[in-house]
Amino acid sequence: MEYVVQQALNALSIGGEYALLALGLAIVFSVMGLVNFAHGEFITISGYTMYALFIFAAPTSAWGLLPIGILASITAAVVFERLAFRPIRNAPATTGLLTAFGLSIIVKNFFVTVVATRSKAVPTPEFFTEMITIGTINIQVLQILEGAVTGVALMLLLILLRHTNIGLAMRAASTDFNTVRLMGIRANQVVLAAFAISGFLAGLAAIFIIARRGAADPFMGFAPVLKAFVAAVLGGFGSLAGAVVGGFALGIAEVVFQVVLPESIAGYRDAFVFLFVGGLLILRPQGIFGQSAQFGDKEG
Amino acid sequence: MRPYLRSLAGGAALAALPIIIGVLIMLFASGSQVRVTNIFFINLIVVLGLQVTMGNSNVANLGHISFMGIGAYVAGILAIPIAIKSTILPDAPFGLSVVEYGPFAATLVAVAVTTAIAFVTGLVITRQSGIAATIVTLAWLVIVHVVFVNWMDLTRGPRALYGIPLSTNIVWLMFIAAAVVIAARVFRDSKSGVQLRASSEDLHAAAAMGVNVRWLRLWAWVFSGAIIGLGGVMYAFLIGSMSPKSFYFETTFLTLAMLILGGMRSVSGAVIGAIMVTVGFEFMRFIEGAPEILGVQLPQIFGLTGFFLGGTIVVVLALRPDGLVGNEELDEMIERRIARRRMRARVAADG
Repeated sequence: MEYVVQQALNALSIGGEYALLALGLAIVFSVMGLVNFAHGEFITISGYTMYALFIFAAPTSAWGLLPIGILASITAAVVFERLAFRPIRNAPATTGLLTAFGLSIIVKNFFVTVVATRSKAVPTPEFFTEMITIGTINIQVLQILEGAVTGVALMLLLILLRHTNIGLAMRAASTDFNTVRLMGIRANQVVLAAFAISGFLAGLAAIFIIARRGAADPFMGFAPVLKAFVAAVLGGFGSLAGAVVGGFALGIAEVVFQVVLPESIAGYRDAFVFLFVGGLLILRPQGIFGQSAQFGDKEG
Repeated sequence: MRPYLRSLAGGAALAALPIIIGVLIMLFASGSQVRVTNIFFINLIVVLGLQVTMGNSNVANLGHISFMGIGAYVAGILAIPIAIKSTILPDAPFGLSVVEYGPFAATLVAVAVTTAIAFVTGLVITRQSGIAATIVTLAWLVIVHVVFVNWMDLTRGPRALYGIPLSTNIVWLMFIAAAVVIAARVFRDSKSGVQLRASSEDLHAAAAMGVNVRWLRLWAWVFSGAIIGLGGVMYAFLIGSMSPKSFYFETTFLTLAMLILGGMRSVSGAVIGAIMVTVGFEFMRFIEGAPEILGVQLPQIFGLTGFFLGGTIVVVLALRPDGLVGNEELDEMIERRIARRRMRARVAADG
């Protein structure tokens, strides 16, 4: 029983992390049709900013690093948009995807050149790794936080999308950006908001990822974001609800395979997870919440 | 001229480029330059394979290097002499530890296996449209990598697989690259190629005109898998050893940068891009190794080659999204220019 609860919590916290990342990808994609392969770099930049602050400012408590980490991720998202993605905003989706891919290579190699290929330790509050005992079950604080923060972030996002003008504009832009602009909304503002939200969500995920790894390295963003991409495809690319559901579904699948696979083939876990998703996509190519494209749809 | 003859002639003219490079290198270059050229030919084969699917269907493919790995591993495992195999792969499954193939047989089997795997994966991948398809190809690359690293008995896992007899050389590579140039060009101009390119312009319009997009994408994906698999086989027979790392992101970046720089919509673009990126990459590697230039000792800069590849991709896409060559093949461009000049001369003469 305890084991089951423990694993269920695992699935929820990993799934929450994927959902945060997938949601950030989906928001940017739904607004401007960009597949941001450089999303993982937000995590990396967040990690190295915290590392730099830890080395040069030597704060007394690791709590102070957290908001800076999130801020760094948001800043990175906004700067990327301004410098790299704005010039190609009206280009076909493939161009955007490959630009983001190239950008991600540049950022990785920047950290290889300037810092090092090896990982650097980044402290997070000790509170995160404390254990809480409920009845007979031991839970790490980090896992509860991950679930709770993901939930709160989703709620806030929902409020933003439903009850603010910019949220309405973003939802409308996912169907027809030109009409949104005809209504007098500035395109740059909408895109900027999408990137800032995407960076914020990635920053939250980055804190959890760093808390779990305890270190930053140039390639740390890749694996989680690849999972987030697969989660987004599973949910239906561009669908926000799909991103969340896909994220949790992938988290659950990962934990199930972790538990079920025998020791000798445990190394194949990711291969099994991806094959499983591939299998689901055979049954439903457009993903869980996706709709099949029709003539005249917004090009994606 | 009949269309297919024209396409053959154009392909042959372009195929002369690798042959000329190969001959010049054989006549004049040093050993290390020959090694760079050999790798260039292998990369060229892979880039051409990538062009067949990505260039014609305009669906970005990030998983193509998986087929290079599969081709290389299958050929390598088949060709390693039994004596070496008994020490490095004593527990190989399917009785492979007591099998030893000659290079031709190993090549045939490896390309056949790669093609078969490409067909099966293609069935899944071609069900996806643009973006989702790209992400599935990336997931496929990770799946193959995970298998290479974990299937110890078959691949030695993360450690190097070695002892493959060196059975290729610059002459073979040069002619194979030239043949692949022609094959890619003929495919591009074939009925399937034209329909596929039409579908990349407007998927739904092409489908409405009766183009079977899914089938064409599958066909291009399988053809591309076979070409890239052949590139992998040549890698195995050229280097004689490999590890899973050889077929992961570095090679993916390198070949993608080549295709994007030249322009993925044409075979000429693939060839020109491969040449230019190879030259640039070697230069960056030279700088990275902290050389002394004009008496100035440069510092060692890790990651410079990565910067170069990423920078190439970003800058080219921002300034010239269709690459250096663009939509037309070089011979088509030249032909059009000549026709225009003739027309102008005729108009001048009449006036």
